[in-house]
Amino acid sequence: MAAESAAEQATDTYGITAPYGDELNDDVTRWDRAAEFPHEKWKPLQRSGLFTLPFAPEYGGAGRTLTETMAALEGLGHTSRDAGLNFSASTQIVSVGIPLQAFGSAELRERYLPQVTSGQAITAHAITEASHGSDVMNIRTTAVREGDEYVINGGKLFITNAPVADLFLLYVRTGKPGAFGLSTFLAERSTPGLTIGEPLETMGLRTSPISEVTLKDVRLPVGNRLGSEGAGFLIMDYVMKREVLFSFAVNLGEMTHRLKRVVEHATTRQQFGSAIGKNQAVAHKIADMRIAVETARKWLYDTGRKVEQGKDASLDVAATKILVSEANQRTAQDAIQIFGARGYLTDTGIERELRNAAAGSIYSGTNEIQRNCIAALMGL
Amino acid sequence: MSTAFNDPIRAYIVREFLAGEDAEDLTDDFDLIESTVVNSLGLVRLISWISETYRIPVDDIPLEPAAYRTLADIRDFVGKAAPAAPATV
Ligand SMILES: Cc1cc2nc3c(=O)[nH]c(=O)nc-3n(C[C@H](O)[C@H](O)[C@H](O)COP(=O)(O)OP(=O)(O)OC[C@H]3O[C@@H](n4cnc5c(N)ncnc54)[C@H](O)[C@@H]3O)c2cc1C
Repeated sequence: MAAESAAEQATDTYGITAPYGDELNDDVTRWDRAAEFPHEKWKPLQRSGLFTLPFAPEYGGAGRTLTETMAALEGLGHTSRDAGLNFSASTQIVSVGIPLQAFGSAELRERYLPQVTSGQAITAHAITEASHGSDVMNIRTTAVREGDEYVINGGKLFITNAPVADLFLLYVRTGKPGAFGLSTFLAERSTPGLTIGEPLETMGLRTSPISEVTLKDVRLPVGNRLGSEGAGFLIMDYVMKREVLFSFAVNLGEMTHRLKRVVEHATTRQQFGSAIGKNQAVAHKIADMRIAVETARKWLYDTGRKVEQGKDASLDVAATKILVSEANQRTAQDAIQIFGARGYLTDTGIERELRNAAAGSIYSGTNEIQRNCIAALMGL
Repeated sequence: MSTAFNDPIRAYIVREFLAGEDAEDLTDDFDLIESTVVNSLGLVRLISWISETYRIPVDDIPLEPAAYRTLADIRDFVGKAAPAAPATV
């Protein structure tokens, strides 16, 4: 299909996980039903070099650009039918590695980045709290300085990868209320006082475990802070832009694959003596899917290039996030309709795609909050 | 006076915060915060944009709103800050 070859031509990173397709797609339905993190599938991802892409060679990285990394994640979405694993992989790149590289001290980078780029240490970032989800600038977990240490108290919720993570980036309050009182700290899983809850049962992305993280008198050295006190919002803004681009590039690959499956089904499934795709009602749905996929592609890479060039892309990132997450949900719903009862069966994997797409309008800032942001940027 | 052509910070503020409005009043000592041209959301964006555009190490970025009161204030610290090594992403 033209769409896929365009991405392939654009960058050589697109296909790096393709040779591992069989391993990644082994027993996806069973893993989804079990709602377990597939540790054995992490290994082929490590071997593929996916986790090394956007990092500097001195830390084991491949030194590739933002859009080259996006292309690799798009390729992963196209290859792997395990959307939970794909989401965890995207979180691995963006949650700790990206902010550590951009804002961490030389000591922190040298100590932790090689573990992140090799995929040996699984990573998570903890921002959301039970009382503050969308209202993220007012989170309440505190870090109080005592000599050469900070003492952290509070709790985090819905943290992707937490049940399996080795390293956590914690966003906490060190100062005044609002955005300018936030700071960011790196914590190892074994830090006393840091407790991980049981994996929470979820509707979709079931192989990407999420849980609560409780922080009780957690003591971290001052050296574990990323950036200065109060720089937490700056780090969060930097990370969130890249989280949207990376995780929704994965969705683009998943949608492209879905579209191929739908076209194949619509051209082979016969009813009333002809292929169902010969009916305009079906063909138009597929044409709309194609438009959604191509629109998602244009927005993702156009926004990616803007961010890469250091341009202000606040509105573009918000629009991209809304557009791709809603396209993912709509095309997954349409795919079920076009597959009929077969789409509703768990074994075909089509219904799983709708469950997996559901969370996209919630994480990385809900779509309502993104629309609020666009409106505010327009002076409304 | 600086113009949008030779002053990217001024150009950014005009484009992002004064779109469609008369930018004549935006002199070097115009108070961006008190005038509410830049509100709290705007300040977060402005600081993020400056840190990314000029690759200023996060430790050198002032986080007090006072540092962003006027174009002259902003230019002052941007001029003094040494750019960080470019990140690949
Ligand atoms: C799969 C998944 C993975 C996640 N991973 C992480 C992670 O790794 N780290 C992390 O920190 N968090 C994570 N989260 C949490 C996520 O960031 C939050 O769920 C999200 O920010 C929304 O917060 P909330 O769920 O508390 O909803 P609420 O903030 O309670 O919002 C509920 C509803 O009200 C709407 N609403 C709220 N305020 C407004 C407003 N002002 N205007 C209009 N509508 C409004 C929201 O849009 C939403 O529809 C994850 C969530 C999911 C689903």
